[in-house]
Amino acid sequence: MTDTLLQARGLSKHFGGLKAVDQVDLDIHTGEILGLLGPNGAGKTVFFNLISGVYRPTSGTVHFQGKRIDGLPSHRVAACGVGRTFQIVKPFASLTVLENVLVARGITRYGTFRRLWGPWQSKSETRAAMKILERVGMAELAERKAGLLPLGNLRRLEIARALVVGHQLILLDESFSGLRHEEISQLETLIRRIRDDGITVLLIEHNMRVTMGLCDRIVVLDHGRKIAQGKPQDIQENDLVIEAYLGSRGGRHAA
Amino acid sequence: MDAYLITIGTLIVIYAITVYGLNVIVGYAGQISLGHAAFFGIGAYASALLTTKAGLSFWEALPIVILLSGLIGIVLGLPSLRLREDFLAITTIGINFIVEALFLYVPYFGGALGIGGIPRVFLFGIKLKGMAFFLLCLSFLALVIFICWWFTRSWGGVACFALREEESAAASVGISPVRFKLLAFVIGTMMAGLGGALYAHYMRFISATDFSFPMSITFLSMIVLGGMGTLWGPLLGAVLLGILPELFRPIVDYRILFYTALLLVMIRFQPAGLLGEGSIVRKWLILKPAGGRP
Repeated sequence: MTDTLLQARGLSKHFGGLKAVDQVDLDIHTGEILGLLGPNGAGKTVFFNLISGVYRPTSGTVHFQGKRIDGLPSHRVAACGVGRTFQIVKPFASLTVLENVLVARGITRYGTFRRLWGPWQSKSETRAAMKILERVGMAELAERKAGLLPLGNLRRLEIARALVVGHQLILLDESFSGLRHEEISQLETLIRRIRDDGITVLLIEHNMRVTMGLCDRIVVLDHGRKIAQGKPQDIQENDLVIEAYLGSRGGRHAA
Repeated sequence: MDAYLITIGTLIVIYAITVYGLNVIVGYAGQISLGHAAFFGIGAYASALLTTKAGLSFWEALPIVILLSGLIGIVLGLPSLRLREDFLAITTIGINFIVEALFLYVPYFGGALGIGGIPRVFLFGIKLKGMAFFLLCLSFLALVIFICWWFTRSWGGVACFALREEESAAASVGISPVRFKLLAFVIGTMMAGLGGALYAHYMRFISATDFSFPMSITFLSMIVLGGMGTLWGPLLGAVLLGILPELFRPIVDYRILFYTALLLVMIRFQPAGLLGEGSIVRKWLILKPAGGRP
């Protein structure tokens, strides 16, 4: 039996009458790449934001490593060791790439008042941050200003920041969207390597080919509900999934 | 040295201290404040009252004044936790008007007559005036600049820069927006309180109009001109906007018009300020990045 790193039970988020996420149960197992799939408006990003503390759930619970984290604000969830990226990249634009990663290195300090006053650009911190940049293949861009980087690099930078924070679990929100073909395959390699280093990955993805190839397991949402979960090949053949993506079958040609 | 020059110099240094505080709030943490003169005034009134009515000396009053300014800074900084950008700007303008109105209409604060007879500052039994008081202010300015320099190099400072750049991304790496906005507000308003106290004991007479909204605009103009978020920008801005009115004394009636034109020119040609990113002065000097905004 595999360990459960994160467990969501009956998780719901309603915006007025709209049930953006409705009674979703989800387990993330230690060491896997779990894909969260679904058509536009299925509630994937809302679900993400419930886990990462951006929204407070209407009902339901989230446990991370046995600790209850639902309802905690984002910075507290981050402090538990959950790193995340954003669908629309959010770099600290006027800081350099290295400084962006250094900011994340402060994760262990921001919660304790008396630890706030040491220098943040110390040699040891810089070295640790450079290691992370090497890991995501951005070491040579360390001194570049983040705001001037192209999208592919910004997505890597966000992964670098997430890795500093999430030494157990990182949540990737559509890290592949808008990337060129070779950037996608580089990023796939990177995410596999992150998994092989023992970090669990939850990723939201639109791109079917990427999801099928990369994920160990897939959960599919539609209209805020979980409609399927399982291995990629099972998902591919699941009638509910096909219906959600392509509409109900009038004839066989839809599949 | 010429008494006139010392007067101008002392006021510039006092304004610079206050403007460094504003720079922590606006330049470092990215929280717009158009009511900084209120905190300058709170420092001035607190020190004036403690020394005239409670009979404390300047030095006994100063820690209380600074703590009080920081405390009121927290209370009035609370709106900044919920509001952003233009809404925050309007709220801080409101704070400025409310504080000025309290000074003006509450009899305890001296009403329209203000507070007079504020004692001079003594140090080791020596009365500080003229050059001596200027040097005292200068030492406080050096201390304030040192604190700012330290802050930009500390984790607390970089957390504020991150908030300024992207609040939700900052939260995703463990930075509490509430905690660090308040931290910036406390540091900034404490510096304003210090500036206000020095102002009160220099002028020895204060009234509500000294701390009105146009003063807040002047403070903000000083950092916009000098370079928001830079280490030396506030000083440069305070010096330039302190000297220019003296140079342009013949056209004093048009001063606001002149300021406005100057700000427009700055925004058009040097949006980051004279010492800001990509500015002419910075290219001349090739300064090292300061305050996280290279």
